[in-house]
Amino acid sequence: MKILIAISSKKYSSQTLEVGMSVAKAFNAKPVIVDVGNKINQFSLKEVGIAQERMESWNLDRPGVDVLEWAFDFLSENKLIEKNDIDSGFPKNTLIERGGRRSEVYLKGTVCDDVSLILRNGEIIEELISEVQKELYDVTFIGKSKNSKKDYELSQYIDSSIFIVNNYKLNRNYKILLIIYESPNNKKSIKYSIRIAQAFNIGIEIITISKDVESIDSFKKIREWSSKFLRRNKISFTDSIEVGNPVEIINNKADSDHILIMSSESNNPLKTFFKGNTPLKILKNTQSSVLIVK
Amino acid sequence: MFGPSNQILNNLLFWISRKKWLIATFFISISIFYLPTPEGLTAEGHRTLIIVVTALILIISESIPIPAVALLILIMEVVLGIDTPNGVASAFMSDAVFFIMGSLMLAVAIVHQGLDRHLALMIVTLTGNKTWRISLGFVGISAIMSSFIGEHTVAAMMLPVALSLLKNSGVSINSSTKISTLLLFSIAYGCALGSIGTPSGGGRNAIMIGYFAEFGLADISYLDWMKYAYPMLLIEIPLASTILWYTFTPEKTIMDSAVRKLKVDVAKSGPLNSNQKLSVLVFFFVFIGWVFLSPRIGLGIVALSGVFLYLTFRLIEWNDIAARMNWGIVILFGSVISLGIQMKDTGAANWLAQSFLDFSQFYVSDVSLISWFFSVVLCSVMTNLLSNAATVAVLGPIVLDLGADPIIMGMATSVASAFAYLTIVASPTCMIIHSTGLVKSKDYFKAGWKLFIVSIVLLFLISFLYWPTLS
Repeated sequence: MKILIAISSKKYSSQTLEVGMSVAKAFNAKPVIVDVGNKINQFSLKEVGIAQERMESWNLDRPGVDVLEWAFDFLSENKLIEKNDIDSGFPKNTLIERGGRRSEVYLKGTVCDDVSLILRNGEIIEELISEVQKELYDVTFIGKSKNSKKDYELSQYIDSSIFIVNNYKLNRNYKILLIIYESPNNKKSIKYSIRIAQAFNIGIEIITISKDVESIDSFKKIREWSSKFLRRNKISFTDSIEVGNPVEIINNKADSDHILIMSSESNNPLKTFFKGNTPLKILKNTQSSVLIVK
Repeated sequence: MFGPSNQILNNLLFWISRKKWLIATFFISISIFYLPTPEGLTAEGHRTLIIVVTALILIISESIPIPAVALLILIMEVVLGIDTPNGVASAFMSDAVFFIMGSLMLAVAIVHQGLDRHLALMIVTLTGNKTWRISLGFVGISAIMSSFIGEHTVAAMMLPVALSLLKNSGVSINSSTKISTLLLFSIAYGCALGSIGTPSGGGRNAIMIGYFAEFGLADISYLDWMKYAYPMLLIEIPLASTILWYTFTPEKTIMDSAVRKLKVDVAKSGPLNSNQKLSVLVFFFVFIGWVFLSPRIGLGIVALSGVFLYLTFRLIEWNDIAARMNWGIVILFGSVISLGIQMKDTGAANWLAQSFLDFSQFYVSDVSLISWFFSVVLCSVMTNLLSNAATVAVLGPIVLDLGADPIIMGMATSVASAFAYLTIVASPTCMIIHSTGLVKSKDYFKAGWKLFIVSIVLLFLISFLYWPTLS
């Protein structure tokens, strides 16, 4: 399994890195930490490159290296990389450009598989989507943006599950709010919920949402399966069923103490493009962190 | 994750969401194509204007790579029947393109020598340790150097000097402060205003000289250009420095320890080595060539001769030049210049100019003033949105036909294209300082609008009081 954690600075991304690395540990996944720097206008691409080369010859770091250095310090403090790597410090000199606007550093992981730190430049949505397409990640972690359109577009187009970290505080007692509704990926979201519950040692609150009373029976199988699966994994959970519009129900239920996990609704991108879908509508207003499982 | 067919559809939708301007451009072009040709405009001129509109939208929106826009211009010129393939090819390559290509190569070769440490020593020796003097020194030295060797070359060399000073003075170089903004803008604005000084200050100057010759208006030599533009450059240095100082007045007014540390650092690198001396000498010969030989052999051939010497003396390897050169820009400028020539040949430039004159004459009797304002304001606004050389290449043929003194109009347009103060994308120097993460986008407008207005007023005075005395 491969996990992509998008960061931007210590100030805005500590929670994203913390959550992402905890989940990576739980899944024993290979985490890749990426910082996407400013987009360079095409007229100036080479000129900026030359200026940055000169900066390096003066031992001045190019933009973004400080962000990766902070991520390296985080990994060192939490002993997530091997001692040899920690002792030799952040290996700036091995931040090698591999194709266009992408530079990468490899580190040897301890709890997780190898850890990579990547620096890219460009428009953030395009860069993350391109990174996921190229390296086939399973989950992408990113902090909630002030610009809700950005989260919306990223969730819509990225070809991986996406975890949007929002208002996350380390010492808060969280609970997973797992949504089961009319979606083809409910089983996958249940599996992800269990691993995340194990990673954070927290319980799960399952809500099954049926659009109408007549459809309640169609969820019988998946509810039974989830209960059995959760008991087998010794996860404490509650289970309830609601009837109505999933967006309204979830917006009423979910608060900042919840980590919301739900599967993507429709597999038809054209429908999503014109009408949006339940996870995207929820994402707009929620105060919780959200994992959309695709 | 998406299934294979849904993934293709999703990728397609993502592509559409990112290429809105490309799709819009396609429909706009088709619509203009089916509009009846306006009275007084030839069918070829009509089609040339379609290419101009297409190219401008695509360059500003950056919805496709810049070299792709360049290729599209050439393809459209042939496919729309504006010229033959050989005609387009010959219009594509000119001395102005040789000059732009040679200048970019020279820039790579000069930066490669690592002369920036010696430059740093020269600056701090001249300015001392007061912050305002350092800022003035940055503006002045950037302006004077960029007038000869091109703005982005100087910006690339000056950037580490400024960052080193900031680092040595204990200022964070990971977040923006007033002093970092002041020093970085001193470089960017210094380079921008310096680029007007000589034909080698920027590709657009060579393009305008090419148009003067192509239109049979004048043969402007390197020294002639300097006589027109250098006084403005010299007046602008203290003005820009004052505007920057009062816009970003820093708390730290003395950079004593930073200057001392910088001097120690630079001293460690020793005196100029033989390659660096030879490199300066080669550039000096190129400069002499531009001044004395360019009327006979052209600015471009002199620049290429300099590159030839750098390569022959092994001051730089071809691979280094090839890897660091912005070839896409060379192709773009070639095709935009060819488009400019087609605008003239098909009468499109003349029709646009005449339409503007007819419209203006309706309101004012003397159009020379209004033509001047139109070309200067339009050019200086466009230069903040797309490349300044592309702006001059497209606007040049039109402004030369606007009825006023063509030399004054051409020079004013070329100088106005250096007023790239307002946006990050205005010029490579603005992008270079922005790439450090130390200047915010709003800072460009904060100081830029003042310098923009001052520059236009100054250009107006010079155009109507000083330039007529040179004719």
